[in-house]
Amino acid sequence: MVTREDVENIALLSKLFVPEEELDGLTQSMQEIIDFADAINNAPAGNEGFDNINNLSNVFREDEVVPSYSNEDILKNAPEQAEDHFLVRNKE
Amino acid sequence: MKYELVSGFETHIELATKTKIFCGCTTQFGGDPNTHCCPVCIGLPGTLPVLNREVVRFAIKAGLAVHGQIAEIAKMDRKNYCYPDLSKAYQISQLYAPLIIGGYVELSSGKKIRLHHIHIEEDAGKLIHRHGDTYVDYNRGGVPLIEIVSEPDIRSIDEAREYVERLQQVMRYIGISDCKMQEGSMRCDVNISVRPEGSEEFGTRTEIKNMNSITNITKAMEYEYDRQVDLIESGGKVVQETLRYDDVTGTTSSMRSKEDAHDYRYFRDPDLVTINVPREEVEELRAEMPELPADKCRRYIDDCGIPEKDAQLLTKYRRISEYFDEACDGVKSPKTVSNFIIGQMFRRTETESDKEVFDIATTPAQLNELVKLLDSGKIRNNLAKSTLEKMLDTGKGVLEFISESDMGGVDEGALLELCKNAVESNRKAVEDFLSGKEKAIKALVGNVMKNSRGKADAMAAEAKIKELIENS
Repeated sequence: MVTREDVENIALLSKLFVPEEELDGLTQSMQEIIDFADAINNAPAGNEGFDNINNLSNVFREDEVVPSYSNEDILKNAPEQAEDHFLVRNKE
Repeated sequence: MKYELVSGFETHIELATKTKIFCGCTTQFGGDPNTHCCPVCIGLPGTLPVLNREVVRFAIKAGLAVHGQIAEIAKMDRKNYCYPDLSKAYQISQLYAPLIIGGYVELSSGKKIRLHHIHIEEDAGKLIHRHGDTYVDYNRGGVPLIEIVSEPDIRSIDEAREYVERLQQVMRYIGISDCKMQEGSMRCDVNISVRPEGSEEFGTRTEIKNMNSITNITKAMEYEYDRQVDLIESGGKVVQETLRYDDVTGTTSSMRSKEDAHDYRYFRDPDLVTINVPREEVEELRAEMPELPADKCRRYIDDCGIPEKDAQLLTKYRRISEYFDEACDGVKSPKTVSNFIIGQMFRRTETESDKEVFDIATTPAQLNELVKLLDSGKIRNNLAKSTLEKMLDTGKGVLEFISESDMGGVDEGALLELCKNAVESNRKAVEDFLSGKEKAIKALVGNVMKNSRGKADAMAAEAKIKELIENS
């Protein structure tokens, strides 16, 4: 059972502010999401050795350097930037 | 009441791969901010991390170096937390199926500090706090780390220091990291608790985060031990919390408030597939491993007749031990080689970092040549010592300084003449010796050595001089 406290805690961990009046609605939505996932969990899994859908393992890169992006390109999508850094404003 | 310290370490070591753990960006230290980055390591949506093969190989070598068990199957997990040093709001790490299980680090006392496991993960970015805001540089984000998690087996600050030194030493030997604590390529989280001596139960522990020097580790542990003991003695209780050590004030303070208590909600990372480690690959890597410092040290003591203290010095850094090994090739007395290295060569490599690099003018082959002349009795110890100084100054070989005519000892008759001469020309020293000043004999022997250009046997000369004085 998902409780209001669970939702409050998850919001806190995610640094999200959730208004009081949305708490009940979100609690119910989250319960529905969990139920959906549980339905998958309850489905019979025929293959004990199942690991991933493509049955892949050992997908590696070689240790070879490729050029990085320019500072300008890396910061292109930053909501805020200053002095070649991503800038995170500390809200009180 | 006496209290026992109980401690366990989580040690992060940056791997010396060329590229990051999940993308091809360079792992070079420093660089202008945000220039060693790409969409993968700044965690843009839609990017796909792919594991660097070398990270797995390096971690396996680390595991072998500490006698760990290499897992046949390992998996990557997401560790969720919301902080700007991680742009994705999760770190890719391992919890449920780490690459290395168990293992131990053996201290010089013979005590084994057991390891719980070693896992691989990505490093976070660097935060600079300025004017109340945070500036983020992701150059370090995605640099591969191993985290070595020990069991709470450490019982004293000395053991803690040695544990860290041993790890640093062995990881440098196998070449997987430079382990520079001051540059952050090795850092420790220290878990510490106290309990009444004799008690079996563990006390409540605190964790001191991100210690970046051995000095700070020992100071922080001393402070935290005293703080916990005082707290308990005065009727208080230790609270489980994460602490920061301030090296200016020498105190620890709480880092996280209660509402930030760990809740990482780990789960399998769906972007990364299972790692299977074939046993043949483990054996291949084992074959690539150099002789480990502990094994070398034992060999030097048992097979080369080197005293334990010296063997420790010779094996502290890989370069020195390799120098020693090469210089010993075919010599009769490895102890002589060791004495030259620890004596004359260490005087020229004063600092620890000098010793680690061990950049000296004389090659191991040149030292080998010198020691062989000594072994065969062609030159005496004094002459060898002074010649080595010249060799170290110039980088030239022994034959540049010693000619055939300097070689060969001094025969009985010649030695007698030299001793007579010394006694006759130094009456003062003879009188001093006769009046009980034992040391005065040294001046007489010195005279013989000087006049024989170092070729005489000092012990034989001393005996002969005593004989002359007593019979006169």
